[in-house]
Parts: sequence; C-alpha cells; structure tokens
Amino acid sequence: MKRLIIFPVLILFCSYPARAQEAISVIDQTIADIFEQYAAESEETVDYDSFYEDLIQCSENPINLNKATRNDLEQLPFLTDVQIENILAYVYQSGPMHTVFELQLIDGFDMTDIRRMLPFIFTGEGGDPHKHIYWRDLLKYGKNELYFRLDKGLETKEGYQFTPEEDVNTPETTSTGYQGNEMYHSVKYRFHYKDRIQVGISAEKDAGEQFWGSDHKGYDFYSFHAQFNDIGRFKKIVAGDFRANFGQGLVLHNAFGIGKTSYVLNVTTRNSGLTKYSSMNENNFFRGAGFTFQTGKFNLSAFYSNKMIDGDTLNGTFPTILKTGYHRTPQELKTKNTVNEQIIGGNATYTNMNLQAGLTLVHTSLDNKLAPDKSVYNYFYFSGDRQSTGGIFYRLRCLKLNFFGETAMTGHAAMATVNGCYFNPVSKVSLVILHRYYSPEYDTFYASSFSETSRINNETGLYIGTVVHPFRKWKFAAYADSYRFPWPKYGIDAPSIGKDYLFQADYSAKRNISMFWRFKFQEKQTNVSNAGAVMALVVPIQKTSLKYNLTYSFGNFSFKNVLEGNLSHRSGSAWTYGITACQDVSFSLKSFPLKLDVRYQFFDAVEYENRFYSYEKDVLYAFSIPMYYGLGSRYYLNLRYEMTKNLSFWFKLAQTVYADDRESMGTGNEAISGNRKTDVRLLVKWEF
Amino acid sequence: MKKIISIISLIILCRSLQSQISTIIPSSNSIASTSVSDTRNWTAFNNPAMIGYPDKPELGILIENRYLLPELSTKGIQFDYPTEYINTGISFSYFGYSLYHEMLIGLGFARNFSDKFAMGVQFNYYTAFFSASNSYRGAILPQIGLSVFLSSDFSIGFSTFNPFQTNIKTEYVVKRLPSIFSAGTACFFSHDFVWRTQLDKEVSSNYRFATGFEYQLVQSVMIKLGTYNSGYLVPCLGAGFNTGLFRLDLNCEMHPLLGLNTLAAIKYRFGR
Repeated sequence: MKRLIIFPVLILFCSYPARAQEAISVIDQTIADIFEQYAAESEETVDYDSFYEDLIQCSENPINLNKATRNDLEQLPFLTDVQIENILAYVYQSGPMHTVFELQLIDGFDMTDIRRMLPFIFTGEGGDPHKHIYWRDLLKYGKNELYFRLDKGLETKEGYQFTPEEDVNTPETTSTGYQGNEMYHSVKYRFHYKDRIQVGISAEKDAGEQFWGSDHKGYDFYSFHAQFNDIGRFKKIVAGDFRANFGQGLVLHNAFGIGKTSYVLNVTTRNSGLTKYSSMNENNFFRGAGFTFQTGKFNLSAFYSNKMIDGDTLNGTFPTILKTGYHRTPQELKTKNTVNEQIIGGNATYTNMNLQAGLTLVHTSLDNKLAPDKSVYNYFYFSGDRQSTGGIFYRLRCLKLNFFGETAMTGHAAMATVNGCYFNPVSKVSLVILHRYYSPEYDTFYASSFSETSRINNETGLYIGTVVHPFRKWKFAAYADSYRFPWPKYGIDAPSIGKDYLFQADYSAKRNISMFWRFKFQEKQTNVSNAGAVMALVVPIQKTSLKYNLTYSFGNFSFKNVLEGNLSHRSGSAWTYGITACQDVSFSLKSFPLKLDVRYQFFDAVEYENRFYSYEKDVLYAFSIPMYYGLGSRYYLNLRYEMTKNLSFWFKLAQTVYADDRESMGTGNEAISGNRKTDVRLLVKWEF
Repeated sequence: MKKIISIISLIILCRSLQSQISTIIPSSNSIASTSVSDTRNWTAFNNPAMIGYPDKPELGILIENRYLLPELSTKGIQFDYPTEYINTGISFSYFGYSLYHEMLIGLGFARNFSDKFAMGVQFNYYTAFFSASNSYRGAILPQIGLSVFLSSDFSIGFSTFNPFQTNIKTEYVVKRLPSIFSAGTACFFSHDFVWRTQLDKEVSSNYRFATGFEYQLVQSVMIKLGTYNSGYLVPCLGAGFNTGLFRLDLNCEMHPLLGLNTLAAIKYRFGR
C-alpha cells in the first residue's frame, strides 16, 4: 500500500521542474480552446493578461486539493462546476486524498482532465494559510520580476506618414495622424510572496501614442495593484487597480465573461470576489481599495473606486464611454480622462456545504451625463449620471442536481435573470441547462454573464449542453442554444431570433497524440442591405463550420495540424466558403535553453462572414488571435531563450501575405500600402 | 481535394435538418417526442411496436396545448390491453375546435418477442370536418412499427405513419395527409438514465432531428431534457411522476418565436 502511494508521489515531485513548462503548455491550449471561439463571437477585445497571469500564479502556488475551497478550485477555468462540487464532496466524505490520482475515483474526471490539472494541484497537509508573515520571509522568499516588451510593425501605416515635425506647415490641432512613433513598449514590475501578497506596477504606451513630446510626456497608461490574502480577520485586501466579480455577473463581473465554447459545461461565471488587476487593458477595472472580511459562514466585501474614463464631453454630456484606450491622435487625446467615475459597492455571501447565496449592491456616479445619440437600437440604453443596481444570487446542491442563478434589477426596475442547473446522472454523462432573460431596459456598466453578445441586455434564450464519455479515450461534447432579441439591436433593425449548436468529438489516442473534430452551426438574423426599404427587414444568415485538430509530439518535437472549413449563406445570396490549413512545429533543445515555435498557415475566406480566428503562440503575456479573411498565408517564428536562470528573452517575427491582388490593407490611419504586414516583438524578463 | 469535398458534403447534409410533424398526431410523453425507441412508455399514434411492451392493462389520457392557444390543442385517450399472444391498443385523438377539427381513431396490435424485438401494426381512421361541404370526410391510414434491442443497453426503433401517402379528396379541395417515417435510438447508460435520438421525415417537409435525456432522479420522480430542430431550435424540459399505479408526464417546449408548448399525460396501470 505504501508503495502505491509513495511511487506516484515521487513521480509527482521528480517531475516538478517540468511542471512550469507543462503549465504554460496547458495554459496555451486552454486559451486556444476558449478564446479562439470567444474572439469569433465577441465584439470586444478580450483581456487575456489577467487570465494568463492568474493561471501562471496558480502553477507557482499549486492548490492543495485537501484544503481547497470552492473559490480556490474556481481559479482553474477548465474545471466545471460539477467537477468542483464532486472534488469537494469527495474530500468531505472520504477524507484527504493521498495522491492526485485519486481524482480518477471521482465522477466526471478522466485522465485528460487530470493531466490538465496536474501543474496546478497537489495533495498534502498544507501550511497554515493564516501564518504570520515576517519581513525576513518576504525578503528571502519573495519573488521579484521585471518585464520589458517592445512591438513594432515593419510596414509604415498611413497614420505615421506625416508627423507634425515633418510637415511644419500643418497646424498640430488639425493633424489627423498619429502623434507618436510606431513602437509599442511597456514595462512591468511584479512582486509576490507565495499566494499571500502580490504587488505590481505597469506602464504602457501603444503604437502611435506620444512618449515624450509636446502633447504628452511619459507612458500613456500607468497601473498599480496590491493584493493581500488572509491578513488577520481579512480574507482579502486590494488596493490600486482591482476587479470585482460576484454571483453570475449580472451586477458585477469585469473579468473574462464566459460564452459558448467547446467547454460546453462552463457556463457560469466564477464568484472570485475582489481580485487584483494587473492587465495592460486600459478599461474594465476599478481604481481604489476594497476588502473581504470573513465571519463564520459569511463573507462581506466592500469597495470604493474613483477613476477617470475617456469620453467625448461637450456641455456636461458625452455620448459613449470610449474603451479602446488609444490616445494617438489629437482627437483621441482630447477625450482622454475627461469623465470622473465613482463606484461604491458591496457583497454579502453565505456559504455552507450545499448552499451559497449572496446579495450584491453597487452604485455608479459620473460627473458628466452619459447621453447616447438616440436611435432605435439603443433606445433603452442607460442615460444619466448615476445608477444603482442590486442582485441576489444562489447556488444549491440537491441530490445530483446543482442549481445556480442570479436575479438583478436596476434603480429603474429593469430586470435581468439567469438560472440553470447542472446535472451529473451517471459518471459518463454531464448535462447543463441555462435560461436567461435580460430585459431591453437592463443596461449596467460592469455586468458580464452568459449571453450571445457581449452586452447583458435585450436577450432571452435557453441553452442545453452535455458531455458524454461513451468509450475509453473518447469524449463527446455538444450544446444547443436558442435565443431571441425582443428589441432591435445594432445592425438588426427588428426583433430577431437565432440558434446555434456545436458538436465536438475528442479522441486521445495516446498520451502524446490527441485530436478533435468540431462541427458548428449558427443562424442569426441581419439587416437586408436595402436603402429603399420602407420597413425594417431582417433575413437569416447561416454559417456552418467543420474543424479538425491534431496534436502529436515525439521527443523534442511537437506538432499541430489544423484543417477548418466553413460555408456561409445570407438569404437571397449565394453560398460562400472559407478554408484554412495550418502546420505548427515546436522544438525545444535539451542541451541549450532555446525553444522554437514555427507556423505556416494558408487561408481562403471569400467573404467577411467566412473569416477565421486562429490562436498563435507569442511572447510571454502577449496574445494573438488574429482574424483572417481574403486569400493569403501567414507564418511566424517564435523564440524563447533563457540566457541565465534569472534572465529570459522572447522574440517573435510574424508576417501575413495576401494573394488576392489587394494593393492596401486596413483603413484610415491603420492603412498599409501593399499586400504584406510584418510584426516584430521582443520581451525581456528578469527575475531577482 | 477529397477532404474538402467530404467536408462540404457533410456540411450540406447537416444543414438540411428541418421538418414539421402533423398536429393531429399528439406529441409523445417522451421528451422532444423521441418516442420511436421509447420501450417504456407507449403514446397514442407513435410507434405501434411499443404497444407490445406493457404487461398490464394501461389507460391514459393526454392533453397538448400549443402556444397557449386552446384552438390549437390536441386531446387524446389510449388503452393498451396485453394478452399472452398479442397486445391490443386503442387510441383516439382530437385536434381543433368547433369550427375546425380533426379526429384520428386507431386500433393496433403488437407483440413483444422475448424482449429481443417487438413488431406492431395499427389501423387508423382519420376524419376531418370540411366547412365547404359541411360534412366529415375520412380515410384509413396504416401505421407500422418495429423495435429491436441490439444489446441490453441499446435499442433502435422504426415506424411509419401513412406510408402509402393517402389523401382526402373532396369536391373542392384535396387535403394532404402527413406521411411520416421515423427512426431512432435509445442508449441506456444505466437503468435510470437513457439518451434517445430520433430522425423524422415527413414526405413533403424537411427532416426533424430530436435528442433527449431522461433520468430517474428518485424512485417516483423523473426529469427530462431535450431539444429538436424543426426550422427553429426548440429546447424541451419535462418531468415524470410515478406512483406505481399512476404515471404523470409533464413536458414543455419553448419555441423561440411562437412560445410555449405544454403537454400533460396521465396513465393508470391496472393491477400491481
């Protein structure tokens, strides 16, 4: 018996040096699985930084399964709620695990799931989370990291063609070009002590923004964050830039919002509470301070935020909150930090073995009035300078059913509700059903929950998902979603409906060979392009796609092949198609600390509806999911070199070449002459 | 090149899954109407082979309400009487309201061959009221069904309604009666949990594909979840309650455009 325990444990610990590499590999694959699909559906830029950093942090401070709480396990996005519940129930009923491979005894886990978790978990007695922190421990065991990153496009964009210095006769105030040079650069400093203390400073300048000139001096964006966990009676204290995520996200959720992906059972947001914000994204965070206080089975959180946001203000009003974070042109600089936003909020959550319930309240106040230019689609959008929102959420476990939901309401009595149930009748099958209703009048600042679009507003729908393990090494996942927009939306001038479904079959032939087939169908409605129409007319637009993905590794080499095709059809128009094929090769030397990733990709997407998104490996903390349409190819080379134990370099060179006789790419200031676009990235990391 | 052609062919095949089923045939007690392979629960005018499975007499009534409009509701009654050699089923269904209505009466016979397979045949008489001639007109429609257990955990079902495409002709109109072919599977992950799929094809409509799960939560309570595609994707949710003698089934379907369909069915099983 002892050997049965000791042997796997030894394997686990002997493999520890490889865990960091495996963690990055798992994170890369998770990002590819989730964000590739999310980028295709979302209208907004996804913030990967925080997601990636949280997982890296988790791999450096693995979770002890025997002491983990629900919040701890929710840090792993590839775990479903059912899996989390089953782990907690297993430890509660059967006592502490001796080895992570006991996960095989828990319903809902197969070897693929367990291998994916390995870099982030362990089993053991664990330390005292409330142990006092001494300064000497901070100095001795604290980790410092400094990052510097530089990006540049080799082709000159239109926005850089004439700078004020070059054309002395052009008044600065009328120039529409970029005020700064073509380089993006950023610097980040991080300090962390285990999972108790995390502090950091970031500064960033986007390409085109002025670094040192007449309009601006220094970086365009600065961020500071500090998070302290388990300090005295406080479960968490945050200061600087932070996020707040409670319940199902109908009131507050400014982390990554879940959508429809091949992780079909992951439909609920994670109730992670207050967390540090360390991303370079210049929006979607709070700036101030907050805390979470635990008393018995209650967690009480409160926070205050006061920050400036961008808006084109005029006479005390502004039409929309600008979220790009770009301040490159005089017009964009005029809108920088023009509106003051104050937010005060709180949450009370009760948790016991089978029930979690909570209440969230938030009040937002602006010093200028938000007044959108009214049209049909935004008739009900929020306008004013203050808003209050409150919501009640719950999680209830009953027999094999896990119910969840949240209902929220604004001060104007506009309602949104999401409710669902997870269901694991036998170990081979897991099911989820989710219903959502977001009234057209419900429009809040920081809500993010399960929805077809990125806005929690004007939508009602029913989603059903299932995962089946019919045979060894096989997994089937499928979802079906039927939804309706009861009021017009942007680009759809009438109430509309839509549906989509996905079926994916995963086959893990061996530990080093795996593949999946993914079929997806979606049908939405869109405006007919008919300027003479008296009444709004919408027609269905359908897209069907099929993707095959094969990954395999031998020795120092690993390979990935992707083949994807789609067909798109707008009512009254002909079918159009898209095809893409891609070959990835990765190579890491054992005797020399160098890792190489190379890709060649071909694409042919006839129309914009046939476009593809494809996740690419990149320098650390940089994320590429570029969009392709047209005819052409893309290739890149990504290098990682660890010069010493403390100093690492990343370098990426990528180029897209179009073969459809185009003479320029992009529009406005982003336009480039010719048919090529080349990007170079460099990142240096120093640990001390 | 072959791969591209295969992809495109598969996509086009999968794209054409849409259908409608006649309103005179009530939706079944099975979730998402996946009744062609449901050996535990016979519904009137669904697969007649399922008449062969009950071992005690059963009497059932069913009410289906479409889109909350009473005028579009279907009511049905059924009775199954097993004997040593053959089981007999009688069914009646009424759709519509006073100004327009249709009725269907059926007499079915089926036999279960040692739980390996079952075959059934049903003779239906369809009648409808035609206001132009102020009279009822009818026709006889056969129905055939088959159910086969390929293993103890997996079965397939097949049935056809009006395979000869009989229509009703009057002086003024020709009323086309539905001719439906159905095939489906049932996979028992455990005694309490089953997953069913079904493909229906009405001769002059597109395909309908349905799938559903039914799980016996506790001895007397069952929950059901499913969906089907008939031009629109329709999710379905249901529950079943079983007291041994009585069985109650409640199913709901949410059509994204037209609204809620509900079905309630109650069966009484004679004897213990």
